[in-house]
Amino acid sequence: METLSSVRRPVRELRPGDHAWLAYSGEDEQRHVVGSFVRDGLEAAHKVIYLAGSADVDIPGMNGVPSSPGLLTVIPLAGARRPDGGFDPGRVLEALAGEIAGAEDGDYTTIRVTADMTWALDLPNGLTELLRCERHIERAVCPSTRVTAICQIDRRRLSADARHALAASHSTFVTPNPEFSDSVLQIVRTFDPVGLSLLGELDASRHGVLDEALNAVLAASSGEEIHLDLAGLGFIDLGALNMLADVAARRSGAGPLVLDSMPVQLRTIMETVGWHMLPGLRLGTV
Amino acid sequence: MTSFARTAALEPRPLEHRAFLFDGMVDFLETAVPFVREGLEDDERSVVVVVKEARLAALRDHFPGCLDDMFVDAESFYEHPVRTLRSYLELVKAKAPRHVHALAEPVWRDGWSDRETLEWARYESLINEVFQGTGASALCPYDTSTLPPRILEHARRTHPRLVQGGGESDSRRFAPPKEFSAGVDRVREFPMPQESEYLPLTSHDLHELRQWVGDRADRHGLSGQNAQNLVTAVNEVAANALRHGVPPVGVRLWTQDVDLFCEVGDNGYWSTFSPLAGFVPPKTALESGFGLWTVRLLVDLVEVRAGWDGTFVRMRVSR
Repeated sequence: METLSSVRRPVRELRPGDHAWLAYSGEDEQRHVVGSFVRDGLEAAHKVIYLAGSADVDIPGMNGVPSSPGLLTVIPLAGARRPDGGFDPGRVLEALAGEIAGAEDGDYTTIRVTADMTWALDLPNGLTELLRCERHIERAVCPSTRVTAICQIDRRRLSADARHALAASHSTFVTPNPEFSDSVLQIVRTFDPVGLSLLGELDASRHGVLDEALNAVLAASSGEEIHLDLAGLGFIDLGALNMLADVAARRSGAGPLVLDSMPVQLRTIMETVGWHMLPGLRLGTV
Repeated sequence: MTSFARTAALEPRPLEHRAFLFDGMVDFLETAVPFVREGLEDDERSVVVVVKEARLAALRDHFPGCLDDMFVDAESFYEHPVRTLRSYLELVKAKAPRHVHALAEPVWRDGWSDRETLEWARYESLINEVFQGTGASALCPYDTSTLPPRILEHARRTHPRLVQGGGESDSRRFAPPKEFSAGVDRVREFPMPQESEYLPLTSHDLHELRQWVGDRADRHGLSGQNAQNLVTAVNEVAANALRHGVPPVGVRLWTQDVDLFCEVGDNGYWSTFSPLAGFVPPKTALESGFGLWTVRLLVDLVEVRAGWDGTFVRMRVSR
């Protein structure tokens, strides 16, 4: 899905000129990523332009609180509907260009644009028009020194081909901000499957941050399996195994903690220990 | 059925751990065959035969109807005492609720140092502790025609009952596991190397320690897996010393021939130290003792010294 020339970037590290792509797996992921984008923008007094199906959209990151006037503009995509029921990307782009120009005149150093395009999929020829729209946005955003954009779409609504085509029209993939990050360990939320991705090394000095991140995932989950993607983990200490088994034991009755993509050397250590020592933990995809 | 018999049936079977001192194949089969048959005829038992190749073949011939997975070559089963303990435990769990009925012949290799022989004798002694309450029955053959007297002496010290010459008796030389283990520990020696490297540990962040140990493990020619095992073991012991020990805490590392040694030391006195520490497996990772038990599984040898001058955990891995 990702092309070689694409980069992955946490939402807080997006920069002007980035035209980023988010194929969210559900509301949780959308709220997490787009919510940070909108909230951080408003807090920094950036201009935020939100393209959505209709004007009364529940904007992620707002928590229902109205922003100071002028900072946030919603462009309803429904306004770009042609009389024949089709979708007229020209109108959207016009409205967007107008807002961007206005913001540039209004002394905003940074302009954040995000568009939830899921709505357009229901229209006749929606995907084709959408792709056309994306090419225009790409041309408008990439040379800019002020505009950062995220195009979002509900991944569940897309075929694999459509997902590929849309992904290929973006140079950047936006990921959630890490729950924790230092020079040794990075913890990132995952949404499909629900869980965390761990990169780097995990030892006793970082059990606390993992526990915190795990508790946040557990609080948001409804008893399903929680997955830990360990593909990027170079070390896990025995205390962490003990801690994970403890977390699994505390949510007895709920799904297990599943360890995905465990590097072979770590897996061998788990096998030496014996899985029976680790009730509630299960090896997932290898 | 009388009420007495009912009571007896409900009571857990005691662990049976007997040394079988035999002289030659005929003598071996005269006791081994009935032992195996006794297990096969009891629905509550599950038989496993782990003996040396020649005896394995002879026994197979006596039980042609039995599945191959009942017979295990002892050479491949007895390679690392703590891992063998773990494998037997897994077997006991896998067979439950049936009780394991094992003909279990430890392997005593010619090229071993006294130290290695003693660690295997300790393993035999630990069986009495670790398999308490499992209802298992183990008969451990010792070949008196080939084994040296000191190993036969270990057999008498580590098994509460002896079977020999068709008879069975208490072993008067038997020592409880804690006492036996303490005896094994007493004769250890801790030669200090001429040259070694030392890394003081002051922070709970052990990233630098792992890199330091990993680099030296690579340089010594350990396989990637053995290096990862060692790094995991040293990290665990160091984290423990930082949490429970008294500063200064540090790691000393040296090599000698094919061996790499890593010793974590701190200035604290481990007042509750038992010679069985880390030898009795916890039920799960949630129980205390999981760390040291796993460290013992991960490296070739772990030796703990808990004295007034401090607590030292020496780990050895061979390339």
